[in-house]
Amino acid sequence: MARMLLLTMLVAALTGCNAEQSTLEVFGADARAIRHIAIILTSGAVIILAITVALYVRAVRAPEHSLNHEQGMRMILWVGAIGPTLILTALLLYALPAMRPRPADPGDLVIRVEGEQFWWRVAYWPSDNAPPLSSANEIRVPVGRTVVFELMAKDVIHSFWIPGLAGKMDMIPGRTNRLVVKAEKPGRYRGVCAEFCGLSHALMAFDVIAMEPAAFDTWLADARAITPLPAIATPGRALFDVQGCGACHTIRGTPHAGTIGPDLSRFGERMTLGAGILPPAIDNIAAFIRTPQQVKPGVRMPAYPQLSQEDASAIAHYLKGMK
Amino acid sequence: MKDRRPHWSERLKVTLWTLIVPPTIWTGHFLFSYLWASISCAKAGQFATFPTLFVVGTVLALILIALSGWIAWNQGRMPGGSTPHEDSTEIDRLRFLAKSTLLLAGLSFVAVLFTALPVIYLRDCL
Amino acid sequence: MSLHNQDDPALRAAQEERLRAVWAPPKGLFLRWTDCNNNRVGVWYVLTAFAFMLFAGVLALIMRTQLAVPDNDLVSAGTFNQLFTLHGSMMMFLFAVPMFEAVSIILLPQLLGARDLPFPRLSAFGYWSFLLGGVFVGGSIFFNAAPDGGWFMYPPLTTRTDLSGLGADIWMLGLSFIEVSSVAAAVELIVGVLKCRPPGMRLNLMPLYAWYILVVAVMILFAFPPLIAGDILFEMERLLNWPFFDASRGGDPLLWQHLFWIFGHPEVYIVFLPSIALFAMLVPTFSNRHLLGYPWIVLAAVGTAFLSFGLWVHHMFTTGLPKISLAFFSAASEAVAIPTAVQIFAFIATLWAGRVTWSTPLLYATGSLAIFVIGGLTGVMVAVAPFDWQAHDTYFIVAHLHYVLIGGTLLPLFAGLYYYWPLITGKKLSDRLGRIAFWMLFVGANITFFPMHFSGLMGMPRRVFTYPEELGLGGLNMASTIGAWLFAAGVAVICIDLALSPRRSKAQRNPWGAGTLEWLAHPDDEDWGIRSVPLIESRYPIWDQKDFVKKVDEGRFFLPDAEEGRRETIVTTVLDARPLAVIRLGTPSVIPMLTAIALGGVFILTTYHFYWAALACAVATLACSIWWLWTGTAEIPEKPCKPIGHGMDLPLYMSGPAAPGWWAMFITMMADATAFSGLVFGYYFFWTRHADFPPMAMADGPGVYWPMVALALGGASWLATIAAREVHARGGVGIARLLLVMGIAASLAGIGTGLVGPWTHGMDPESHSYPAIVWTLVIWTVAHAGFAAIMQSYALARSMAGKMNPQHDADIRNVTVYMHFFALTAVVAYATIGLFPVLS
Repeated sequence: MARMLLLTMLVAALTGCNAEQSTLEVFGADARAIRHIAIILTSGAVIILAITVALYVRAVRAPEHSLNHEQGMRMILWVGAIGPTLILTALLLYALPAMRPRPADPGDLVIRVEGEQFWWRVAYWPSDNAPPLSSANEIRVPVGRTVVFELMAKDVIHSFWIPGLAGKMDMIPGRTNRLVVKAEKPGRYRGVCAEFCGLSHALMAFDVIAMEPAAFDTWLADARAITPLPAIATPGRALFDVQGCGACHTIRGTPHAGTIGPDLSRFGERMTLGAGILPPAIDNIAAFIRTPQQVKPGVRMPAYPQLSQEDASAIAHYLKGMK
Repeated sequence: MKDRRPHWSERLKVTLWTLIVPPTIWTGHFLFSYLWASISCAKAGQFATFPTLFVVGTVLALILIALSGWIAWNQGRMPGGSTPHEDSTEIDRLRFLAKSTLLLAGLSFVAVLFTALPVIYLRDCL
Repeated sequence: MSLHNQDDPALRAAQEERLRAVWAPPKGLFLRWTDCNNNRVGVWYVLTAFAFMLFAGVLALIMRTQLAVPDNDLVSAGTFNQLFTLHGSMMMFLFAVPMFEAVSIILLPQLLGARDLPFPRLSAFGYWSFLLGGVFVGGSIFFNAAPDGGWFMYPPLTTRTDLSGLGADIWMLGLSFIEVSSVAAAVELIVGVLKCRPPGMRLNLMPLYAWYILVVAVMILFAFPPLIAGDILFEMERLLNWPFFDASRGGDPLLWQHLFWIFGHPEVYIVFLPSIALFAMLVPTFSNRHLLGYPWIVLAAVGTAFLSFGLWVHHMFTTGLPKISLAFFSAASEAVAIPTAVQIFAFIATLWAGRVTWSTPLLYATGSLAIFVIGGLTGVMVAVAPFDWQAHDTYFIVAHLHYVLIGGTLLPLFAGLYYYWPLITGKKLSDRLGRIAFWMLFVGANITFFPMHFSGLMGMPRRVFTYPEELGLGGLNMASTIGAWLFAAGVAVICIDLALSPRRSKAQRNPWGAGTLEWLAHPDDEDWGIRSVPLIESRYPIWDQKDFVKKVDEGRFFLPDAEEGRRETIVTTVLDARPLAVIRLGTPSVIPMLTAIALGGVFILTTYHFYWAALACAVATLACSIWWLWTGTAEIPEKPCKPIGHGMDLPLYMSGPAAPGWWAMFITMMADATAFSGLVFGYYFFWTRHADFPPMAMADGPGVYWPMVALALGGASWLATIAAREVHARGGVGIARLLLVMGIAASLAGIGTGLVGPWTHGMDPESHSYPAIVWTLVIWTVAHAGFAAIMQSYALARSMAGKMNPQHDADIRNVTVYMHFFALTAVVAYATIGLFPVLS
């Protein structure tokens, strides 16, 4: 345990801080349990490696006949066969119970996440039968409550992985996988696609925000309250209409209800742009609108090079304004 | 003892085919376990149906492996030759195959036990 | 001929002259490439695989350079995806597996005191297939058309033609072609080990290398065919739009993952065990004693082979399968560590008991064991499913698999290179350069891959072309990149060492003082392989048998001559290696190369959708194969027996289970049946995936009637062939021919009736996975009926041409083996498609 922590600290010191997306910096109960398993496994592996190397060195240095035939056979039997069998049996008895999935109640919050090339469609399904709240590329979870992720994919296989929260689970077309988790520590974290899914697989991440339960409930209620935007024609909003962005994107409270691309309602409160890859600065948003292929190769959004920098910035301002 | 007719376990000669009997039983048991769990999960929606079937299958596999190990052990004890039994004689070849079969039976026995262990802990299809 | 005769130097010289003439390689700019002697084909094979390894290594260096710093843009995402796909695929399919086959083609006849392998032309065919397919797959990156879906090519990313291009077809078809050559090599090696051992080399005296090769070749037989089945389904979906992996039409992407990993996990052991086999040869040599625990090693090899087929789902721990299924595979994955530990401690015990001579090969072996043990231990870690849920598809796995493959395949091969170089060239490599290279490789591998354990656990997924700076992974990745360059420099030093070799002088014979048979090789080697085939009485005959080398060299053992001017080797029994016969081996010929080119045409032209040209190539392949069989196999000898020395007379013709040809057919058909079982698995897999299967709309499937008619015809054809064999053996040649004609008719009728069922029931294979898999099973079965007709016709033609008679009936016996498997295929296929819908 101490050795592992020391090693972790050493690595952290060598590489700078990495609190966001690491299986070693945990904020969920499952990731914590797995980290504990990892420490046990690593310690065992280090001890076994040391013993093996020591025996090997001893073997090479030993003078001839320091082991006769019977002794050699006993060594193979005990050190080669029976010893490993006992160790592995113990390991199995220790590891199998840890495979039991976390139990979930029908009343638990369900968050349905669909992987798309190369972003995440998110929908919150609270247990109160109200219509779901849709979002994209950002997941908020309440601390201390059980949350059920329902994981799906439309186009290709993706894998849903929040290293600090729990192990990963694949999103496979035609299947619905469940991952039951429990966050323990509030904060901002990062999740990522772990199964190769095409050209911009490396650019498919998302933000995870673990919130105190009360704050989460407030946020969820706010987000679900449909507040029609005032019909003030800002330049950005007009451009959004004219350019036909609504064919693919939804902004609740406006006529735009496209579902091909990410839901942009409350885009202003998102912490990143383009599925976790850029800070949502005006310039970045404008660049994404004009030349998405340069930011994210293989993305399905068409380019708008004909838009001037000013117009793209205007749309960006409009989007940033929605909170 | 001289005129004793060899026990049937000694008459049944080990060959390259009998060598792979224990691990083949493991293979059968492993496939049986996997198919039993996945078909009952896919078709019945729950896995712990027919646990008796699983127990019977496992015990049967263990008995068969133990039996083949016992036969091999019996054959390996046949008189003749001297240690370390690596001469070009029929008896040493027999001993070698018997010993290998016995070892494989040991490994297969452990492997069947390993395969059966999960059922103690996991009983649903989640 | 008695011992006495060999005392005459003039006789010996005359014998040597005859042997030399018989085994002389073909000369000429082109003709030299038609050679099929294992020494030459093996060396081509090794060099080609080595070149592919260097190429794939350069691809990795480019990747590591791209990843040296965060947010790098040395290569584009598209190029990077091609790089890692090709790196993995080439290292596995074009280096690790072929390299083991290549090394075995060189070593096995030496180890077994045989003149050559039983089917030299098959080796040549395998080599040319490998070269063609390898260049086709590897070269694609220069046209920006390389596969880019990762080495496990998961659909639907790779099957959807809108998401993936030609690269996916190149992968599937190019590598299927290479899989064929791997299965060919497996046939060759299994028959070689079982049937071509020297007299006296009973199973308990076989060199451990031969044991490992036997085990690995059998594994290939059961591991590669499921992938071939997967390839078939995959290309059916890509080329014909049959929805096996398309969830919207009843398919399931996971079917591919099952088929791929049923191949993919044994594959790891297929490339690992041969390297351990090299250890099993060099550890006794440098311990100066017999290896301790011979039966334990055999236990480990056989046990690993079996267990490795129960591990495949541990690559699918995160696919959401029921935890209980995962747990079975987790348990088996732990169990497989036991035989691995046994092997390692057998080596340690041997070194302990012996007197260790320190040497460059042993240095490599030691280093690779250290690296492998780390990889093995992380393997036990990832076998624990919860840990794998975090580690899966991260750099932790990249670290694990490279520790395993560098420690378990690459460095052992370098150990083998330094150990066996004198055997092949007669010269030793430089100890100094070898040690320098070793330390560069050892340190480089650890600097490259050890940090990856941490970058993985710190959240770096696999197969990313870049990573953001904020994750703090820059330092670890820079270390990995520096290590990779150091490692590459180490490989370069080895290449320099090899390049300097021609300038060095010859070493003495058996320079390491080894005890096993292969070290009979003389520095100024002759192409005949071994001067006379020895009688074996020990596992280490050079150490233990008196005057052994001298007796072999003076031709005092068996078959010291080639009186009839034919290439020959001795066939023995499986268990006790009692001499059975002398067989005549294939001689240099252009046929293997032509067959490989024609078969390559089928695969390569299909990639580009030139279907008619591909069909023409298929016909050419068939024609070449028949030409090959007709002129090169089951030849009726000029006399029934020949003396091999020591008053022993051996027959020159064999048929049935004693003959290598029969075994080759049996083994090939085992592979064929395994591929078929992969397709059948697909059918029942879909059944478990759907509440109603067959779907309501086509509830009665292809009906019961026509499949049963086709089954009856298949059975009739099978019975007719068996009857023909029996009648023929009793002298009823005319009746046998008549029965064969009836068999041909039944086979041909079976093709038509097989197709009628799904055809008349309007099953549209593009509509749903159910009709698609039914059609696939039917097509597979009727294609086998077609081959049955061809084989029966072949036996008939051989009889008519006087090349087969009741005393020489290998052809019809081999055809019968095929027919047994065909009958089994027909029963399973037609019962599945015709009766199962009624039952379920």
